[in-house]
Amino acid sequence: MLLLKNNSLEDQIAEYAVKYKENFYRLAYSYVKNTDDALDIVQESVYKAISSTRTLKNPDYIKTWFYRIVVNTSLDFLRKQRKSVAVGDEVLASFDFGASDDYEDFDLQKALDNLPDKYRTIVILRYFEDLKIEEIAEILNENTNTVKTRLYKSLEKLRIKLSDYEEV
Amino acid sequence: MEDKKLQFLKNQYLNTPIPEELDFIVKKSIEDGGTHKMKRNKLFKRVSVSIASIAAAAAILIVGINTSPAFASTLEKIPFVGSIVKVLTFREYTLEEERFKADIKVPSIEGLENKELQNSLNEKYIAENKKLYEEFMADMEEAREKGGYLGVDSGYEVKTDTDRILSIGRYVLKIAGSSSTEIKYDTIDKKEGILITLPSLFKDDSYIEIISENIKDQMRERMKKEEGVSYWIDQELEYGEPFDKISANQNFYITAEGKLVISFDRAEVAPGYMGVQEFEIPTEVINDILVSNEYIK
Repeated sequence: MLLLKNNSLEDQIAEYAVKYKENFYRLAYSYVKNTDDALDIVQESVYKAISSTRTLKNPDYIKTWFYRIVVNTSLDFLRKQRKSVAVGDEVLASFDFGASDDYEDFDLQKALDNLPDKYRTIVILRYFEDLKIEEIAEILNENTNTVKTRLYKSLEKLRIKLSDYEEV
Repeated sequence: MEDKKLQFLKNQYLNTPIPEELDFIVKKSIEDGGTHKMKRNKLFKRVSVSIASIAAAAAILIVGINTSPAFASTLEKIPFVGSIVKVLTFREYTLEEERFKADIKVPSIEGLENKELQNSLNEKYIAENKKLYEEFMADMEEAREKGGYLGVDSGYEVKTDTDRILSIGRYVLKIAGSSSTEIKYDTIDKKEGILITLPSLFKDDSYIEIISENIKDQMRERMKKEEGVSYWIDQELEYGEPFDKISANQNFYITAEGKLVISFDRAEVAPGYMGVQEFEIPTEVINDILVSNEYIK
């Protein structure tokens, strides 16, 4: 590729961005649910990644580092957007895991969409992006137990029973 | 993953449609990433153009001229579509390569009784886009040798379409070293068949001062209200002059409700990341100097 003249860290990031752009786009889209905003988020994430190369200390962490940028950019975007909307963090915090309804397959997508961001993100990263619990913890800057707990709760809410909990 | 529900959700997720611009945007962002740290505007503003009655769909000529190197400028005859004034895409030119992307749409106004006005506007639209096309081709030849990404996106947007008023905006978005956006408006009185200019709305040129002051008030208000909003007023600038007043023929359009909206190009009165800026002028501010309330209410 034209841009990859040598193998500097910046080039590795660029290469990574091109290779995983669709993953980043899907992730961004899962937050904002529209094409234009998702493209903006990808664009901004790539800018941020390229211009903050120095915050990536070890190239081995490029994957989690990049995902973290995309997640944070998406959340920032939603936060700005919600400023003008009545629904704030309190409403989201009051999200109640106690009640669980029966979901038809039809409603399953809606149930996932209705999960608070920090729960839905974990489901997406774990099962759709096939990341490890340790990687997710790294991305979200949480410890692995918190990630696991949230994942169990999310699955409970979605009424998903895994035959073998080891899969989590 | 054995669970059916999870598999279903995963499939849904993986089926998220990927827009074709993604690749271009990512590559462009990589190229700019090192130098531009500011939040950028949307690279590709999507404009949905609704053509009110699409009875004339057959008359929409989308002529891909990828195959012909010259931008043919002869005007195709469009079948008579009744007296309804319409804006159609007369021509579209698209090019898509790994590093170059162009989408040029030329609008064409049809159905105006004043044919002279109609032709002069349509010729202007063709000329504008022809120039754009030629510039793009020249830049592309250069970039083929020197490297780099280039994009141009031009099109139009019908801002207002009432029985009386047609406001049509043409936007041009260029992406080269930096990106720029321009929007120009034409506002037409369909009934009288005249092009409405900004000075023609007012009794004298006091409107320049009055509108400018109102816009500055609105700018201050917006800056106070929202974080990150910045206009080039009340401050020393590193480059250029702060916003003082609008030009006599500042870009404008009239809304369906009869409100005057003043428009500024990207980076005309505010930093580039703020994009194109619009200000609706409250009618009471300009009521005393309006020639009539025919258009502005």
